[in-house]
Amino acid sequence: MTRKLVAAAAVLTTALTGPALAQDRGGVLNFARYDGSTLIDPIYADRNPDIWMVGSLFDTLLRPSQDGNSVVPGLAESYAVSDVGTTVTLTLREGIKFSDGTPLTGEDVVFSLNRARDADLSPWAGLLGTLDTVANTGNEITLTLSAPDPTILSMLATFTTGVVSKARFEAADGATDQEKSAAIFAAKDAGVGTGPFYLCGFEQGTSMDFCANEHYWRAGADGKPLPYLDGVHFEIIPDDATRILKLQAGEMDAAEFIPFSRVAELEADPKIDMNLFPSTRIIYSPINTRPTRADGSPNPLADARVRQALNYATNKKALIGLVLQGAGKPMTSPLMAAATQLATETDPLYGYDMDKAKALIAEAGLAAGTEITFTTLAGSADDSTIFAALQQMWAPLGIQLKVEQVDNATRGAKNRSGEFDIHTYGWVNDVNDPSQVTGWLGYFPTAKAVGTGWENEKFNSLFEASATEMDADSRAGQYAEMQSIYAEAAPLLFMYETPFAVALSETVSGYVQTPLGNNLFEEASINR
Amino acid sequence: MATIQYILKRLALMAVTFFLVMIIIFLLVRLLPGDPAIAIAGDRASDADLAAIRERLGLNQPLVIQFWQFLSNTVQGDLGRSILMRAPVMDVIASRLPTTLFLTTYAVALSVLIAGPLAFVAALNRGRWPDAVIRTVFQVGLSMPVFYIGLILLTFLAAQLRWFPVGGYGDSFVERLYHLFLPSVAVALYTSAIIMRNLRSAIVEVVDAEYVEFARAKGLSAWQILGRHVLRNALISTVTLLGLSIGNLMSGTLVTETVFAVPGVGRLMLEAIFARDYPLIQGLTLTFAVLVSIVFLLTDLIQSALDPRMRLT
Repeated sequence: MTRKLVAAAAVLTTALTGPALAQDRGGVLNFARYDGSTLIDPIYADRNPDIWMVGSLFDTLLRPSQDGNSVVPGLAESYAVSDVGTTVTLTLREGIKFSDGTPLTGEDVVFSLNRARDADLSPWAGLLGTLDTVANTGNEITLTLSAPDPTILSMLATFTTGVVSKARFEAADGATDQEKSAAIFAAKDAGVGTGPFYLCGFEQGTSMDFCANEHYWRAGADGKPLPYLDGVHFEIIPDDATRILKLQAGEMDAAEFIPFSRVAELEADPKIDMNLFPSTRIIYSPINTRPTRADGSPNPLADARVRQALNYATNKKALIGLVLQGAGKPMTSPLMAAATQLATETDPLYGYDMDKAKALIAEAGLAAGTEITFTTLAGSADDSTIFAALQQMWAPLGIQLKVEQVDNATRGAKNRSGEFDIHTYGWVNDVNDPSQVTGWLGYFPTAKAVGTGWENEKFNSLFEASATEMDADSRAGQYAEMQSIYAEAAPLLFMYETPFAVALSETVSGYVQTPLGNNLFEEASINR
Repeated sequence: MATIQYILKRLALMAVTFFLVMIIIFLLVRLLPGDPAIAIAGDRASDADLAAIRERLGLNQPLVIQFWQFLSNTVQGDLGRSILMRAPVMDVIASRLPTTLFLTTYAVALSVLIAGPLAFVAALNRGRWPDAVIRTVFQVGLSMPVFYIGLILLTFLAAQLRWFPVGGYGDSFVERLYHLFLPSVAVALYTSAIIMRNLRSAIVEVVDAEYVEFARAKGLSAWQILGRHVLRNALISTVTLLGLSIGNLMSGTLVTETVFAVPGVGRLMLEAIFARDYPLIQGLTLTFAVLVSIVFLLTDLIQSALDPRMRLT
């Protein structure tokens, strides 16, 4: 498949552009993935391997800015929010086409947004919870909101609001929306999105192919339409070592999810361009704060002083050295990665201080030899290392740390039911706004503050107020206060932030993985 | 006639086996901790979302009813829809099974090709250096885990020497032979070690037997003795062993397919277990059970053809 594509691409490139361009164009990028997509639809994509691909096939009205702190025009060339914050008007660019050449209309946008906010269809409907009506007059789109929503612009730059072709969608086979979506996915041809690529090949669990959308609206550095590539060929290679070998053997041009233990080795390889892209990924450990454990016994971790002590006694720099070979940094905000909007550098965030830790433990009156269970993912080398390190780091506090190894599904169930003391967890933002992660980690009604059972009225009311706060400064103040309250209460063991490690062949340039994890191939090019 | 009767009897027995397998796997899967609804919707899903998913998948029904539905659907050839792949289980398995069958058959063929000649060399040189070398090498093969052998083969033969591709499985038949050579070798090393050991001692035993002495005394040539007596008799136990080890081979593909990036049912099984994809786990287990039963049946039939003394009962 790849070879055929490359051959076809070579012919096409020569025919269309002629030789000698400053900008490399053409060619197929071979990309090794750790896991495959099952359905790339803006509203049904619910696993990261799906979500991180959506943007290549579907455009959104707005796009996140390069620095991640604001939004810039996307399919909409301009936008405005009314003074009271309940109306958003957007104007679509002229001449945008779907990948089969049919023009994009306002109706497609209305159709897509209605689909995205329909709770019966979309697990992401909550992101557009304030959307009351959406209408269009020609190229003018008007959103009316039930309440002012400071996140609405970020939401319009989020994958789930990607615009699909109404005509194409309605004509697809299938009785339900989900069946239609699957049918479109299986059809492997152009036309459903306006993104830089369209899905042109797919074998479940094996491979996937993106082909360039020749009608794409954005122009490259050479003034011609993006993307530079003719296509991207994805292969699913779950084994870390094999992915890297494939890259080193020249069978692949890129490999994602490089284990941090291999980063230094690949950095030393002259043929490899080892990238550590800044991310919003944080690794933390929820601590059960309920007064009693699931078995009814008293919970020593219910005392905030004990949780603070664990945080002080954890040498995060040492953990980063052990687990990430140094390729990470300690969390500086208790609720989000530093790359997230409104993140503060919160003090205390528990630099290593064993004396303070011991004093807090004494103050809390924790009995020596107290047993605490650390739930880890079976088979995860990182989790095993973290456990071994914490066991040693916490021993001076008189804590006996025991390990319990489970798989992912079990860990999720334990988190939900509160049957744990401490367990490992991680997060990557889906939205270019702090509300999502803050709701997940701290707001009790959403998910019992990431399953910890921690509940703070002040925090909850601040979160609710921030949801309708249109004044940017006030909202930033609310977020600063929430971060301060959360840091003090320490319902988590705050660990570290990690980058996205992607190894590229030296022939590849312009590929980016965004802080939200999305793979951007539109400005990628290859020179071999 | 006796053979047909025997086959029918075996098929009836297989049906009973499948029924038991279905009960066991149905219960085992549900005894696993972890909720498929969370596996589908993710940890962030609300309780209402999870309830809706359980309702849609029938996971809130009593176990007996769930089992009855599973059973009646399976008998009608419907294994349900894979939660993870969002497609009928039958289609998902059908698309990945040929690759695994190819890999397994290839590994069996390689095992025989590797083990057969070497067993003869070892047996006929009993106690001398070729025997010692061959047995030592296979002993090492036996004691190394498949994934480790796989990684070594990949690192040296594929990544460094570039003799073989690192992963994938090719499009045409010839490409497949080329792509799947290393994974097959990795799987075959273990099996061939077992076969070699067994075949060697069987040959040694036969060579020492009185009827071979007698044949030799009659003036038959070495090749005639080998073909007519030694090979045929030594093969009987080897066929049994080969049949039994195919079950092992299939479980070996779980690891091999992951290491070598081969998209077969072995890797699919791992993905299904991690996702708590009940229908897919059930469908795959049943598929494995059917395949292994067929292999066992064929083994018995071949065995009886080789040795008329073994009556089919």
